[in-house]
Amino acid sequence: MDKKRIVSKTVSSAVLLSLVLTGCSSSNSTDNDGTSAENTAQTNDAAKTNDAGATNGEKPKEKVTTELWVYKFEDYNIDWYTRYVDEYNKTHENHQVNLTVVPGDAWDTKIKAAQAAGNPPDIWNTYYGDIGARQATGQILGLDQYTTPDIWNDLLDNVNKMVSIKGDHYAFPMLVEPSVVLFYRKDLFKEAGLDPEKAPVTWDELFDYAKKLTTGDRFGLQMASKAYDYSWTNWGLQVGHLGHRVISDDWSKATVADEQYLNLLNFYKRFYDAGVVPKESLGGIKALAESKVAMQISGSWEISELRTTYKDMADNVGVAVMPSPDGDYTKATATLGGWTLVVDSKSKHPQEAADFLSWFIGGDPKIMMDFFQKGHFAKFPTRKSVNDLISQDPASANDEWRKLITDKIVQYAASEPLYPWEVSFAFGSAVERSLLTGQDPMESLKQAEKEINDIIKLKELAGTNPALQTQ
Amino acid sequence: MRISTKWNTWLTAYLMILPLIGLLTVFAVIPFLYAWYVSFSDWSFYDPWKFVGLKNYRQVLLDPKFTKSVIVGLKFSLYVVPASLILAFLFGHSMRHLRGKSADFVKTSIYIPTIMSGVIASIIFLFIYEYQGGFLNYAVGLLGGDKIAWLSNTKTVLIAIAVPAIWLGFGLTALIMLAGLLDIPESYYEAAELEGAGSFTKMFKITLPLMKNVILFLLVLGFNGSIQELVLPMVMTQGGPLEESQTPSLYIFNHFRDDILMGNTIASAILLFIVCGSVAAVLFRLVNSEKAAD
Repeated sequence: MDKKRIVSKTVSSAVLLSLVLTGCSSSNSTDNDGTSAENTAQTNDAAKTNDAGATNGEKPKEKVTTELWVYKFEDYNIDWYTRYVDEYNKTHENHQVNLTVVPGDAWDTKIKAAQAAGNPPDIWNTYYGDIGARQATGQILGLDQYTTPDIWNDLLDNVNKMVSIKGDHYAFPMLVEPSVVLFYRKDLFKEAGLDPEKAPVTWDELFDYAKKLTTGDRFGLQMASKAYDYSWTNWGLQVGHLGHRVISDDWSKATVADEQYLNLLNFYKRFYDAGVVPKESLGGIKALAESKVAMQISGSWEISELRTTYKDMADNVGVAVMPSPDGDYTKATATLGGWTLVVDSKSKHPQEAADFLSWFIGGDPKIMMDFFQKGHFAKFPTRKSVNDLISQDPASANDEWRKLITDKIVQYAASEPLYPWEVSFAFGSAVERSLLTGQDPMESLKQAEKEINDIIKLKELAGTNPALQTQ
Repeated sequence: MRISTKWNTWLTAYLMILPLIGLLTVFAVIPFLYAWYVSFSDWSFYDPWKFVGLKNYRQVLLDPKFTKSVIVGLKFSLYVVPASLILAFLFGHSMRHLRGKSADFVKTSIYIPTIMSGVIASIIFLFIYEYQGGFLNYAVGLLGGDKIAWLSNTKTVLIAIAVPAIWLGFGLTALIMLAGLLDIPESYYEAAELEGAGSFTKMFKITLPLMKNVILFLLVLGFNGSIQELVLPMVMTQGGPLEESQTPSLYIFNHFRDDILMGNTIASAILLFIVCGSVAAVLFRLVNSEKAAD
C-alpha cells in the first residue's frame, strides 16, 4: 500500500515538474541561428515556396529574415516605417524584414535582454552620441564593406563625420534634429509691446523679454529646469560660444571650472533668481500653446506637435535661433541630435541588413522626403540628395521654419559629445546645486570638476576619445 | 516498520518540495550565482568575458552617488514604513469591532490602491503636485501661501514620493494588521477587564505583545519593499533634484540604461542585496520573532 502511494507520488511529481519545465521552455524557442521559431517557420515556408517554384534545376536561394527594432516615436514615424518595410518585403522575395516597434521605456530592458541572450536584432536604432561607445565595445559593424561609396558621399559633411570612426562608417544616419530652438508666442509679444517679428538674439535681450512677458499666471520663458536638462541642452553653446566642452579633447581632465562655464551657470541663475522661468517643468510645447509660458527653448521636434495637436496656435508662434552671449548665430548654439540605424555585429545576415538599409535610408530620396513631410519638417535630412529634392518642392522649400532652422541652425550646429553621460551630468548637477541650494557658482563648478576627474580616473577615460583615434 | 515510515515521510516531503526547489534553482539560485560571477568582469555582451577582479565593486563603493542612494533608500523607508504601520494599526484597531456590510465596504475600499499600478499612482500624484495648476498648490494658494515646487525642492521631494508609497501599501498592511488583531482571543481582554486593566494596559500587555510577529513581518516586508522602490521616483522625479530621490534601485536602473559594460550595474545590485539582507537581519535581531505567546 505504502509502496503504491510512493510510486504514485513519484510519478505525479515527475510529471508536474516536467510540465512546469516544458511550459517554461516551449514558447519562443530559438534555434541555433538565434532566430525565433516563428521566423524559422516563415523561412521554411518561403523555402518551400521557392522549391515549388524552381524549374531550372538550380537550387533556389534561401529566404533570409532579418529583425529590425525601432523606437516608438510619433505615430507618423511608425506609419512610415511600416509602409516602407512592407514595400521592401513585397519587392524583395529573398529577404524578409520583420519590424518591431519598441516603446521608449521598454527599449533598454528589451534590447539588453536580447543582447545578453546573444540574440540581438540585426538592425536597431541608436543616436549619434552613442555610436562611439557601441563601436568601441564591438556591438556594431563597420558598413563600408557591405555598401557602395555613393551612399556615404551623399551625406552632409558634418553628418558624415558623426557616423565615421577610424575611416569606416558605423551607422546609417536617418535624420538630425537641432537640440535647441527658441519658440515664442507672437500674440503675447504684441500684448507686452514687443515686436512679434523680432526675437531676442542675445542672453541680455532674452532676459529683458522674459521679464516683460512674465505676468501673475504666466512665465516669460521656459527652458531647462533640472540637472538632466542642464546637462545636454547647452552642448551646442559649449562648443560654439564657450570654446570647449566640460572635458578636454583627449578626455584626460575636466575643463569645467573656468570663467566661460561660470557665465553659463550664471545665465541660468539669473533667470531662476528673477522668477521669470518656472521652478519646475510645465511640460513641453503644451505649456507655450496653453499660454503658461510666452517663450520656450526646446528641440526642433516640438514643431511636429505644434503643427498637429496645436495647429490652430501654430500661426501665432515664431521660431528663432537660441540666443547666445553675443547673438552670433554662425557659432553653434545647438547640437545635432538624431537617430541612426546600425547593423549588429552578431547579425547572421549583415549583407542583407546593409542592403535593406541602403535601399531604405540610403536609396531613393523620396522615401526620406516622405518622412520629413509627414513630420512637418520638425526633423532634418542628412543627405544632399534629400535636401535637393525638398528644395525642388515649392511647398516644402517655402516652409519658413524649415528654412530658418536649415540655414541658421543646422549648418552651424555641433555634434553630440561621445564621452559618458555622467560627465555631462556633473555640469548639469552643478547648475542645479547652485540654483537650489544657493551654493556659490564657482564652488559648484569646482565640485563638478572634481566629479569629472574622479570619473576619468575610475573609468580610465584618458586617451580613449574615439574621435581622436585614427587606427 | 518505523524506519520505513520515517523514510516514506522523508521521501514524500522532499518530493512535494522538489518542484519548488527546481523553480527556485532555475529562477533564483542560478541567476544569482551567474550575477555574482559576472560582477567580476567587464561584460558588454559582445567582447570576450574579461576578469577584472574587484574593480566593479571598487567603482561602486567609491561612487558617492551609490552611497547617497542607499542613504536615500533608508530615509525613504523611515518615512514610509513607520507611518504605514502606525496608520494600519490605528485603522485595524478601529475596524476590529465593525461588522456587517459597512465593514466589508471599508475593507474593500482601502484595498483598492494596492491593486493599482505604481505608474498610475505616480501620474495621479504628479497631477496633485504640479507646480502650476496642481491641486496641492491650489490649496496652498487658497491658504495664502506661495507655490511650492514639491518635486523639485530638495527638502520636500522625498516626502512627496513617500506619500503615494504609503497610500499604495496601506490596504495590504491594514488588512494584515486587522487579521492579526482579530486573531487575539476576546477572552484575554475580558479576563484583563475583570482584573481591572484599563485600555492602556490592555494595549501594552495584550495587543502589542501578541501582534509582535505580525509587526515584525510587516516591518521586514515594508523595509525591503521601500528601500528597493523604483517606479515612483523613476516616473515622478527621475531621481532628482540632486539625487535626493534616487533610490538604490533607480541608481542601478540608471546604470543599466546608460552603461555599456554591465559589471558596475550587477555589482551595485549585489551590494544592494547585501544592504537589504543586513537591514532584515538587524530588524530580526531587534524584534525577536517567537512562537505566539498564546
